[in-house]
Amino acid sequence: MEPLFLIFASLCLFGLFAYALQIWSVRSCRTIPTPSCSGEPIAAAAFFPPISILKPLKGLDDNLFDNLESFCHQDYPEYEVIFSLQNENDPACKVARMIKYKYPERDITVHIERCSAGLNPKVNNLIPAYRIAKYPYILISDSNVMARKNYLADIISDMRDPGVGLVSNLIRGMGGESVGAVLENLHLNSFVMGSVSFLDRVLKMPCVVGKSMLMRKSDLEAIGGFAGVKDVLAEDYLIGKRMHESGRRVVLSRHMIDNINEYWGIRKFLNRHTRWGKLRWQIGGIKYISELISNPVFMSFLALAFLGPSLRTVALSAGVSFCKSAGDFFIGRKIGTNMTISSYILGPLKDVLIGFIWFVPLLSNTVVWRGNRYIIGKDSMLSPCPETGLLSFRYRVVDTIKARFA
Amino acid sequence: MLLCDFHIHTTYSDGSIELQKVVDIYGQAGFDVIAITDHVVNNDSSIGKLAHQFKYTVKEENFQEYMDAIEFESTRAWEKYGMLVISGIEISKNYINPDLSAHLLLLDLKRFISASWDYERIFREAREQDALIVACHPQPLSDMSKDTFHLWNNREKYAKYIDAWEIANRDDVFNVVSLKKYPYIANSDFHKARHLYSWKTLLNCSKEVGAIKQCIRHNKGVAITLFRN
Repeated sequence: MEPLFLIFASLCLFGLFAYALQIWSVRSCRTIPTPSCSGEPIAAAAFFPPISILKPLKGLDDNLFDNLESFCHQDYPEYEVIFSLQNENDPACKVARMIKYKYPERDITVHIERCSAGLNPKVNNLIPAYRIAKYPYILISDSNVMARKNYLADIISDMRDPGVGLVSNLIRGMGGESVGAVLENLHLNSFVMGSVSFLDRVLKMPCVVGKSMLMRKSDLEAIGGFAGVKDVLAEDYLIGKRMHESGRRVVLSRHMIDNINEYWGIRKFLNRHTRWGKLRWQIGGIKYISELISNPVFMSFLALAFLGPSLRTVALSAGVSFCKSAGDFFIGRKIGTNMTISSYILGPLKDVLIGFIWFVPLLSNTVVWRGNRYIIGKDSMLSPCPETGLLSFRYRVVDTIKARFA
Repeated sequence: MLLCDFHIHTTYSDGSIELQKVVDIYGQAGFDVIAITDHVVNNDSSIGKLAHQFKYTVKEENFQEYMDAIEFESTRAWEKYGMLVISGIEISKNYINPDLSAHLLLLDLKRFISASWDYERIFREAREQDALIVACHPQPLSDMSKDTFHLWNNREKYAKYIDAWEIANRDDVFNVVSLKKYPYIANSDFHKARHLYSWKTLLNCSKEVGAIKQCIRHNKGVAITLFRN
């Protein structure tokens, strides 16, 4: 046996073992009989404090109307929903107003205020909404989140423990009418779901998914509020980290939230995961390499590419792809996603694409997010790209090439 | 202003998305008015026969089923999104020579109209049904294979029948100067989800079929907008 083949085969086995641990973590998160994934058992007394839901909106997401509407059907005694926008001409503004019109009995505010406090556009959107939020508990909920009726009641139960500072949720990718959307859902339901569960259950590390964060106002203010994260890309990670450092617990709720992705293009999928990869590279540093070596499909693909097609390399790729797809399918069933069986055939392709994307953050430290280009630094600190000089010329060249391909 | 798109295809002809999902795409995006306008293709040319062969056309046999499906979706869209869905067809006279080809939207149609009929008969029948008649992409498109010039080349003859002309279709804006004397609207010619982001019409009228038709015919309070995310 060639040593190189043995190295790749060992890495594949390691990757499959790591994935098996992630599957166990997801299963564990779904089956433990406590309200939170990492929490203590709680008393059964009713605990329903009023909540302010902050919804930063920018542009149209798939399923936006239903996503926003799902927050009007919450089985919860008292809450307000604040749809926050920077611009009245944003197409999401019309949808938000339609929801407000449709549910006059709900406490809904469509708040439009341009805020340029920082470089993170989501935080800029949240600052005005936070200022008008009435209640002591705030839930930051992204526009692409669809909630079930018991969402608020479920996640608030973790807050009964005064030691808990932040409650976050696992995300389940649903839908998938286009190839890009299927790839996105596969990635959410395998890598993202597995990694977040693994960090929480096995490594006991606080892991916050920014799509849903429930906090007390007092706790958020104690760690510096939104002003403290206005210039970082990963505001969710930093809020979780600071909350943890302040002595408050960060918990992952058992309640899973849905992210409906129906008509994504492949480019959108690649752009998002390139951005997320850059973010993890800047936050995790050398630990980022673990993502590459725990991608068994990509490792088997590399064996095929470097050693050429032969019985053993093809068998390795086929075997690893089958095992990984079976794992994806198992998680999919466990979390109850509505993806079709045939969607899982795209799993190996997705892993190979993600493998290639992994290298991009090593070569580039700029991100384009919501139409703005930033340089991303340590702990995802953002700084604006220079508008003059050699660097700006480089960005213009890149933009021109992208425009040509578009 | 009502955000409108009057030129939308589904799997009833050559669209790639089913009717219900198309209605949801527009409803979820906050549209006020849409018209479903699947192709009714002529059967007297080789291209037309191909469309019939591959079922890229609504036929007389399934016209009622098509209208019933739109009616069902119209009720659902109104209740769920407050969105008005108008039934229609796109009369598609397809020939190899674009100078002979023509596409016409007939909105708020009640009975079947064949694309194999002559123009006079089509216009007369559409008028009798009080359908809104819109000439589609009358000038060159960026996708030349879809060019249809017959109506524009014979505009002196046909303009009296046509309630509005498409001044913009998906990504293309036509010669505004030459179209300015005619009533106009802008549509997406929707076939795929990404076509949602394209030229659209804004109407300043109430959300009722009669008011919308009148607004387009009089062409007062009509604007076009490039709908982007």
